[in-house]
Amino acid sequence: MESLITTFHIDWKIIIAQMLNFGVVFLVLYLFALKPLKKIMSAREEKITKGLSDAKTNAEIIMKTQQEYTEAINVAKAEAHELFKKGKSEALAKRTEMLAQAEQEVALMISKGKQSLEAEKAKIIADAKNDIVRLVIMATEKVLEDTTDSTVKKL
Amino acid sequence: MEKITHTATLFAEPIYHIGSFPVTNALFTSWITVLILALVVFILRRQIKEIPKGLQNLVEIILEGALTLCDQITGNRQITNKVFPFAISIFFYILINNWLGIMPFGGLGLVETEHGKSAFIPLIRSGTADINTTFALALIAVLGANFFGIFTIGLWKTINKYFNFNAFSGIFTKIRKDPTVLAVAPISFFVGVLEFIAEFAKVASLTFRLFGNVFAGEVLLLSMSAIFAYLIPIPFLFLEIFVGFIQAFIFSTLILVYFTIASQDHGEHEEEHKHPEHKASLRSVT
Repeated sequence: MESLITTFHIDWKIIIAQMLNFGVVFLVLYLFALKPLKKIMSAREEKITKGLSDAKTNAEIIMKTQQEYTEAINVAKAEAHELFKKGKSEALAKRTEMLAQAEQEVALMISKGKQSLEAEKAKIIADAKNDIVRLVIMATEKVLEDTTDSTVKKL
Repeated sequence: MEKITHTATLFAEPIYHIGSFPVTNALFTSWITVLILALVVFILRRQIKEIPKGLQNLVEIILEGALTLCDQITGNRQITNKVFPFAISIFFYILINNWLGIMPFGGLGLVETEHGKSAFIPLIRSGTADINTTFALALIAVLGANFFGIFTIGLWKTINKYFNFNAFSGIFTKIRKDPTVLAVAPISFFVGVLEFIAEFAKVASLTFRLFGNVFAGEVLLLSMSAIFAYLIPIPFLFLEIFVGFIQAFIFSTLILVYFTIASQDHGEHEEEHKHPEHKASLRSVT
């Protein structure tokens, strides 16, 4: 042991000095570099983790919303399709009904027209008859008048 | 013309005395290391922002990598968080000390004349090329690991690792169920004593491994420079830069392993069967 100490000049004062040196290095590194860096790195890691989890939640929300949107669109499409179909069939029925009604009305109008035409014809004929009768009477009267006048003159 | 000799000594040479306290070149280099690290920390401290830039970016990348590596060794983030500052401080302290020793400050030094012979004493010598430094660091590491064990698993369990009184007390409680406990208990106790001796071996191994490697590197560089001053030492310089890094890495990794082992008590042996791969990796690192 003695030879070891003399060969390597082992000196407890230098050993303590070296321990102190290391102590200073440790304290300086720990207090002024590692601790604040660790704090910042942990805070950053926390932020990143939170950001990632938020992004995941947001992605889930977006996916859910997209699904809901697609579902709503599909439902709306189906409803619109149904409505369209219903509207189309209703319109067709209405059209048929209206056509039938129009046909009926036309037929009615035609028959009414015919009736009024016939009434008009009958009236015209009656009027014409009356006129003819009147004209015949008037002509007869004239003839008779003329005949009477000439007879009187002769007389 | 006076001849000045320069030989690589096994010990750090004093360059100044403060009373009876010898300021060796290795200690001086360690002070420079402390100053460099303090300066870097000071610059970094002023730059620290939420959005990293420049030096902070680099340090954060290093820290992230080191933390991941520590996690692989400790297998537990909580232990990593507790031990990491200590391990990384030791790493940088050793690294800067190692690298300062191979910096080209060759001509910077004192000429000391003794018994008519002049010898050159360099001002800069790797702090870790002095056994006092490596011994101090090893002592801090091993004592630190044991104190960490006391704070983590408790004083009684830590003592029981070395002096397994629980094994003896188990004789009275388990003898009816398992008579082999009579043979196992003394063996367990003896293993504990071996572990206690191993703690001293740890100090010795940490001390001499680091000192040996760094000192050998300095001798190698000196020899190469003596053979041919130009070109030839360059590859060896790079080799020593690498060795300096590797030695700092090994020392801090071993500290992590010691701290991790110290934070586990013998009762966790059952746990070993559940996670054999992690324990096996620890053993391979040790």
